[in-house]
Amino acid sequence: MTGKTMQSTFSTRRPTRRGANAALLAFFGAAAMAVPALAQSARDPGAEAFVQTKAERVIAVLADKKQSEAQKKQVFRQAVDELADVPKITNFVLGKYARTITPDQRARFTPVFRAYAENVYQSRIDDYRGEQLKVTGSVVRKPGDVIVNTTISGGQITQPLPVSWRVLGNGQTWKVVDVQFKGIWLAITQQQDFVSTIDNAGGNIDVLINQLQKGGSGSSGRR
Amino acid sequence: MSVFLGFEGLGVQRSRAQNVGKGAGLPVRHWMLLALVCLGVAKSDLVWAQETSASDPFEKANRASFKFSMGLDHVILAPIAHGYMAVTPHGVRDHVSAVVYNLGEPNTVINLVLQGKPKRAMRSTTRFIVNSTVGVLGLFDVAAKMNLPRRDADFGQTFGVWGAKPGAYLYVPLMGPLNVRDGVGRALDIVTDPVSLYVGGLDTDFGKARTGVTIVDLRAATDPAFQALKDASDPYVTTRSAYTQYREASVREAAGEAEVLPDFDAPPPEAPPPAPKP
Repeated sequence: MTGKTMQSTFSTRRPTRRGANAALLAFFGAAAMAVPALAQSARDPGAEAFVQTKAERVIAVLADKKQSEAQKKQVFRQAVDELADVPKITNFVLGKYARTITPDQRARFTPVFRAYAENVYQSRIDDYRGEQLKVTGSVVRKPGDVIVNTTISGGQITQPLPVSWRVLGNGQTWKVVDVQFKGIWLAITQQQDFVSTIDNAGGNIDVLINQLQKGGSGSSGRR
Repeated sequence: MSVFLGFEGLGVQRSRAQNVGKGAGLPVRHWMLLALVCLGVAKSDLVWAQETSASDPFEKANRASFKFSMGLDHVILAPIAHGYMAVTPHGVRDHVSAVVYNLGEPNTVINLVLQGKPKRAMRSTTRFIVNSTVGVLGLFDVAAKMNLPRRDADFGQTFGVWGAKPGAYLYVPLMGPLNVRDGVGRALDIVTDPVSLYVGGLDTDFGKARTGVTIVDLRAATDPAFQALKDASDPYVTTRSAYTQYREASVREAAGEAEVLPDFDAPPPEAPPPAPKP
């Protein structure tokens, strides 16, 4: 903001109202900011144990050299269901379009996204061929919302690979909603990818569904 | 384009957006924020949307540049990198990467000092000395076994720690994704690089060899990311999103800040664009 603009903005206001507005904003702002700052401290052993067991299973399935590809796919699907909150992720990746998608479109998008995500993530995890997962810590963002930090090693990985898992739950049951690798959250990236595709199609969700059915960005899809 | 556009230009853009439709009290954007907080919409979602959405005023040009770069990569860099990956075992490539990394360590030290982290700077200095000598010019990361882990730092990150905003997103042919802050940072990384200054820059055989090896090593190391782009629905936006998150994580980690993440139970509050015309 230029100095002149700022000056003219403030010069039109009455001092008392400006003070009240600032105080109100400061209160709400401080209150909103204070919650995560206070909450992000302790570890959550329950969430850590969940990730250690369930995420390691997913990795073990793909590292298992005894199973055929078809068997792996089936077991991988079961393991993903135990690990991840698939319905929540499916809704999240639609971003703002989760509000406007029709029931018919949702019924078509859900299985298409599921198949797409399974293929993509199986390829991605398979690329690294890690074998062991070790929980290194966790951060409770707020009750029921925990980031579990892990390292994956073994196989073709020469240096332990840090991977973080965002898990949501009620203290008893947990589910992963996103995975972070090198600072990049996969579901967030997926959401921006999908929303851009729908935006560029003038808001037509069917375009995304058709594209996912064909495989990624079209001709370059590797499945 | 001025390299300072990101530091000054973005600030102006944001302020102008705040002033649109201002009334007698707070700017409209602040009233909306207050209203959303009162309505129970998490403030963290708004902050998250701002942090993860890159400012991309040059999207059209950037998309053209991205398309051109992908084509260039397809015909030149990818075949070289794939050839290199085919003839060298994984372990050998790791040692080459370690040498490239080691040559960048003095620059890391400079930036750790500028970020006010003298202890980390000392550890990185020790890493460089140990790995350059005992580790045979960086081929072996001996220092890591002495509890001296890698600490990445560069000028783009340093500017971020000092509070500079990323500025406009840019996709530059041959340089890949950038923002203005990182573009300025990368230029400074190059001109202040102690190894280039004291051992030899691009005008020497050493400098040319180092640049060539660095490009091939970087392309090989990022090959999984290039493969992942093939699965993306919009590869340009996927690249922009991943780069923005990656760099913000780097700054956040250096600054010791907590990460703001979206709410998974409610979609973002923005309205979708109008439906397409039949």
